[in-house]
Parts: sequence; C-alpha cells; structure tokens
Amino acid sequence: MLKITGLSVAYGGLHALEDVSLEVAEGEFVTIVGPNGAGKTTLLRAISGSVRSGAGRLEFRGRDMTPLAAHQRAALGIAHVPEGRRIFPTLTVLENLELGSYRRGARAQRGPGLEAVLTVFPVLRARRQQLAGSLSGGEQQMLALGRGLMAQPDLLLLDEPSQGLGPRIVEQIFETIDQIRKSRRLTILLVEQRVVEALELCDRGYVLETGRVVLAGAHDALLADPRVQRAYLGV
Amino acid sequence: MSARARGYVAIAAVVLVGLVLTFGISERYHHRILTLVFLWATMGLAWNIISGYAGQISFGHQAFFGIGAYVTVLLAAKLKLIPWIGMLGGVGAAVLAAVLIGTPTFRLAGIYFGLATLAYPLIFRIVMDYLGYQEVAIPMMREQPGLFMQFEDPRAFDLLALGILAATLVLSRLVETSRLGYSLRAIKENEQAAEAMGVNSFRCKMYAYMLSAAPAAVAGAVYAHAILFVVTPDAVFGVLVIVQTLTVCLVGGAGTLWGPLIGAAIMIPVSETLDSTLGDKLPGIQGVVYGAALMAVMMFAPEGLYWRVRSVWSGRGGEAARTTRPTPVFAVASVTPAPAPRASGAPLLEVRGISKAFLGLQALSEVSFDVREGEILGIIGPNGAGKTTLFNVLNGFLLPDRGEVRWLGAPITGLEPHEICRRGIGRTFQVMRVFPRLTVEENVMVGAFVREGAPDRARARAQDALARMGLGGRACLVPTGLTTLELRLMELARCLATAPRLVLLDEPLAGLSSDGVELMSSMIRQAPAAGVTVAIIEHTMHAMVKLADRLVVLDQGRPLAEGLPGEVTRNPIVIEAYLGKRWLARHLATQGAIDAQDHRP
Repeated sequence: MLKITGLSVAYGGLHALEDVSLEVAEGEFVTIVGPNGAGKTTLLRAISGSVRSGAGRLEFRGRDMTPLAAHQRAALGIAHVPEGRRIFPTLTVLENLELGSYRRGARAQRGPGLEAVLTVFPVLRARRQQLAGSLSGGEQQMLALGRGLMAQPDLLLLDEPSQGLGPRIVEQIFETIDQIRKSRRLTILLVEQRVVEALELCDRGYVLETGRVVLAGAHDALLADPRVQRAYLGV
Repeated sequence: MSARARGYVAIAAVVLVGLVLTFGISERYHHRILTLVFLWATMGLAWNIISGYAGQISFGHQAFFGIGAYVTVLLAAKLKLIPWIGMLGGVGAAVLAAVLIGTPTFRLAGIYFGLATLAYPLIFRIVMDYLGYQEVAIPMMREQPGLFMQFEDPRAFDLLALGILAATLVLSRLVETSRLGYSLRAIKENEQAAEAMGVNSFRCKMYAYMLSAAPAAVAGAVYAHAILFVVTPDAVFGVLVIVQTLTVCLVGGAGTLWGPLIGAAIMIPVSETLDSTLGDKLPGIQGVVYGAALMAVMMFAPEGLYWRVRSVWSGRGGEAARTTRPTPVFAVASVTPAPAPRASGAPLLEVRGISKAFLGLQALSEVSFDVREGEILGIIGPNGAGKTTLFNVLNGFLLPDRGEVRWLGAPITGLEPHEICRRGIGRTFQVMRVFPRLTVEENVMVGAFVREGAPDRARARAQDALARMGLGGRACLVPTGLTTLELRLMELARCLATAPRLVLLDEPLAGLSSDGVELMSSMIRQAPAAGVTVAIIEHTMHAMVKLADRLVVLDQGRPLAEGLPGEVTRNPIVIEAYLGKRWLARHLATQGAIDAQDHRP
C-alpha cells in the first residue's frame, strides 16, 4: 500500500532522515521504534505531507504521491494522528470529531462513522458535549484517535499515542488500537518509543536511529534482538 | 579609511548638505519645512535608539518630546529662565521620566512593552490639563531674541535644528559602534540568548531608554520655539507626534541611523507640499495622497528604504567566501590565560537537591551531582527527563523551587543568567539561538564583550574564536547563510568567547551528519586540555558514550544513575528507563551473557 524509497528530509541543513526505505502492505500493522531524535515524527510528517521531502519517492497504492500536498494526500485516505494529540481544546468533543470528517469522502458517512467511534470509545460518548480541553490526557488521546478515524482512512499514521500517559492508560490505548485494527481492516503505521508494547501488537517493525533504518524484521524477531537496545543506548 | 571614520565623514556630509540648503533657499515657508525635516529626523533617531536598536517598540515616545517642550517653556514663563538652560531641565526631567517609566515597564516583554508605553503620554496630557496648562504661551522677549530662542531670521532655526540633528547622529553612531550597541542588537534578536552570553539586558535597555529620551526632549523644546509658540497638551503629547515619528522611521528604516534621516527627508517635504498645494483646492486630499505614498513605500520596502536599497546593493556583491576546514584547535582561553585549575577532579559545580515544578508537573526532583574540573560529563535520559530544564536552572534562566547550585564553592542560585555567564559558565542551545541579523563575527562579539569592553578588542577576540572553529571565512555573513554544522560551531565559538571554565552544551550534535558529529565531537574532546570543563546533553548515544568521561542519567526529573559510560549503559535501571520494564525482563538474561563476554580477558 505504502512504499517509501530513499527518503531524505532536511530542515535547513539539519538532517532528520537519510535514505529511508520501507514498505507497508495493505492491512498490515507496522511499527517504527527508535530513541528520541531518531526522526520518527519527521517520517510520519513526510508521509502525510506536512514536511517536504528532500529526496526519495513516496508511493501510495502504486501511485507516486511525492508531489502531492498534505490535503491531497489526506484525500487519498491517509489520516495522521499527530504527536502531542493536537486536539482543538476550545471546541467540544463532538465538534472535534466532526472536524475529523472534513474530507469529502468521509462527509457522507459522518453519521455512522461517528456512531462507530463513540462505540469504540464509550468515554467520548459520555463527554461529547464537554470542551475537549477539559478532558484528561488519556481521553484527549482517544479523542485524537477518534478524530483520525472519522476521516474514514485506509492508512492510519499514529505518532506516539503513549506520550505523557501513565502505564495503565497506555495499555488501554494500545488495546483499543488493536481492537480498531481487527474490526476495520485498517492499515496502521505506528511510531513509538515504548518498544515492547508497540512491537507486540504489530506484524513487522523497523528500528530508526539518527535518521536511518538500522534494523527491520518481524515483531518477534525484533523483540528478541539485543541490537534494538544498542540503538537506544549506544552499546 | 576605517569604517568608524567613514561614519563620521558621512555625518559631516549631512551637515554640509544641511548648511547648503539653509543658506541656499530663500522662502520663509521652505525654511519651515527644512526645520521640520531636521526636527523629525532627530525625533526619529531618538525613537530608533530604544526601538530600532534594542527592539523595544515605544508607542509613547511623545512623552519625552512633550516633557522637553513643557518643562522648557514653563521654566521660561514662570521663572524667566532662558530656554537654553531650561532645555537642560527638560532633558533632565525626560531622562528621569525614562527611568521611572522603564523600571516597571521593562518587566514586560515584546508587544506588551509597546502597549504599556501608550499609557504614559495620555497620563501626562491629563496631568497638564489638571494643572491648568492647557495653553502655555512662550513669553515674548523681543529685546534679546537670541537669548530666548526667538529668532527673526528663519535660518537660525534651521541651524539650531541641524545642530541637534548632528548631535543626535553622532550619539547614534556612538551607540551603534559601542559595546552597548552590540548588546542592544543582541537583545532585539534574542533576549534570552543575550542574557546567556553575559548581557545585562535590563541595564542595557535602561541606558538605551535614557539616551533616547534626551534628544526627544531637546527636539520637543526646539519644536515649541520654532513652530508652536503656544504649547498645548495635544500638540506635544498628542498622537500625531508619535505617528510622525513612526512614519519617518518606518519609511526610512529602523535600526540604523540613516533610516530616520532618509524617512524625514522624503516624507516631511511631501506632506508639507501636499498640504500647501492640494490642500487648498481639495481639502482632505493631501491625507489620501500621503497615505497612498506611505502604503507604496511599505509594499516596496516593508523594512524601510535604507534596508531595501542596501540589500539590492549588496545583492550585486560577489559570492560569499567558502568555509575553511576547521583547524581542530580549541583553546580560545589563550586570550586571557585560563585561571589556575583547582585540584584535579575537585568539584567545579555542585548541584544539590534541585527540584522544579511547572503547573504540577515535577520537571526535576531532588537532583544532585557534581561537575568535576577537567571532565566531560554527559547528562542523558529519555524524552522529558528534565535535561534542558536542568541546564536552564544551572545557567539562571529558571529559579529552582528547592535546592542549591554552588560554583567554586559559592552559591549561585538566584543569580541572573548574565551574572552566571560572567562567573564562567557558558552555554549553547538545543534549538540554536543565533542573532539572525548580526553577522557571524558580531554574534561572537556579543559573547566576547563579557571579557572585553572595547569593540576592537572584542572583535579581535571573536575573530580568534571563529578562526579556531574554522569559520574565519564566514565572519562577515549573516547566520542564515550557514549550514547546521557551521551554526553549531558558531554557537560554540560565541560561548567560548565568554572565556568560560564550564560550558553547558545542549544537544550540540543534533541534526548533524555523521561527518559533522565526528568533527564536533573532536572539538568538544579538546576542551579539557584548554582548561574548559564540559557538561553535555545529547541524544545520540553512540557519540555520547565515546565522548563522555562520566554519565548522569535522569528519568522523569529524578537522578537514576551515575557512573562510567560502560557501566551506566548496562545498568538495568537505565535500560528499563529507555526501553521499558518488559524489554528488561526479556533481555536481562542475554544482557548477562553479553557482559560476561565483554569481561572475558
């Protein structure tokens, strides 16, 4: 579904990604792990089109989407749930979700889509008239996920859904992601620092370190590979 | 001819042109326009000192203009004091007002400072109304016109206004080329970085405010005698005064002494001529034409004509010099000999029980460690561990809630960043904080001023620091033309120009290519030999374990471990912090195997 070849991204001379190649098949759940500053967030941004790629090619379902702008990529069915959630704090939960279905293809299915999201996240149903800014961190993360799902995406990009959350909430979020994936036949690309939690859920994983892919493999192989630790701790 | 001498020759040329015009024109009305050009250029230059150089936009600068006018005229009316002396009283009152206004108002940053300054002229207007000074006429003294600034000959006012313009140009030039001027420009570009480079920003801004109040007061006094004759609150504290001041500065360009002069030379004759020609036939049309001219200038040259012309001019210049390969020589401390080292390994910096919370988030809790003389100490930890917060506490940006930092045995907690810099702790920033509109050399000079008062000496010191970083060929560029590696090297040079004994480096390797990492690491590794101790935050663990002598690990604001790099990275607690409990559970067994392998002889 998604094929990236030789992707490099630099911000004003700062090398964030260098020659990254990876693939995600239809219906697959792929995780990218790696330490802070490895370029994980930049990679997702380059896929969703919010940063421009310097070199390399991005293909979505066989079509070159490198020249497409962010909104055009969203129209192809790519939804990005960004790092730090980025919900609209002064809007209600419902309004936040409705904004998620802004894209043309999703607008027609807004009603059933909303119902489905509120079923997956009962807590959002309970708080649907509340201002999003008044939610707890975990609830805000669920809202961000729900908003991403409202776009009826085929490929969901998730950036650090565990960030700033307690271990119990993280577990809950990961369970929900697993559940969504099974019920919807979604393709998911997840970026995470929590190695084990993320790798256990997925089919395949990549390890990113200082802008480069240093390891790739099936989830159980990576979980058993001591070299993952090397990416984080240097030895 | 040196650059400095050229500046004064240019000022002399302006005076010469002013003299030619004064004696060349004959119509009384034209003399009035010429006087106004000189006066508004002076007022613009006054505003430019605080707002152009220091970037503290003052929307209430007519306060000083009005004080100058009122004090001078009141002293003449009430005490029969000649305006030449009265003017000194006006200047004194304006400078005093600047101190009184600045003391509370400089606590406000950015646009809030500007908004607050709006209030002061309004207050003065109300006070003048309250005191019954709605109209104060200058007492007529026909017997001694010269003594009372009541000249019959309009050329006398031209000369008077030209005189104060020339004095203000010289004052601006002195500010521009002095240590104060560099500090002000650094404050304008990035106040926090300036503080960290040893600039006392409050004091610098206050000096600039006082220096800019004085010429404004003189301009107000002369304006009252040359143009007004009857001083009213509206005429000297009114909004039109600041509008005229801003117009000449924005059209001509702020942040340079030529800008207000160019702006006044164009806009004042245009507006006066429009008033006298079109204003008769179609009342009101002059405002429309004036506004259109102003908009045209803003669209063509939003930063002002001076900067626009300058950028077109310098755009024709040749290609910028290429970088020279850095000579890996670190010792900038050679300019002033490094202080005698303490007993080897003695703690230089002692961090004791530092805690800091933001809105309930405990960023640091009970952090204690030492930085020993001559070592490279690495501070590591996962995202959000509190590493940058720790540096912000160490260099004085943040006050800890609890705990103490001791430097050479004496507490430094609570000192301002510029004081901590002066004591010998330098720092660089994770997101580089360069002064974008200063050249590379001037950026480094800001750091060098900590040790050198004279601009020439500071320049030499900066050139030395840049040459050692291999940036000698880049000195005259602005930082936007530099690569990330060069910018990081420049930041390091700026930090070393303050002659620190300890440098706090916040992710100096971030975003560098592998060559860059190698080069930067080799620069850092030479620091201890030059008498500079290093504390470094870094995510790139591969480089860090090679670079650091010792590591301190933080996790969620707590100190987790401390020791040699090899020990720390094998410590199960550290592995858990980076990769999670469950990773540790899976790999503890294999970890043991790896360690056993490593320890085999």
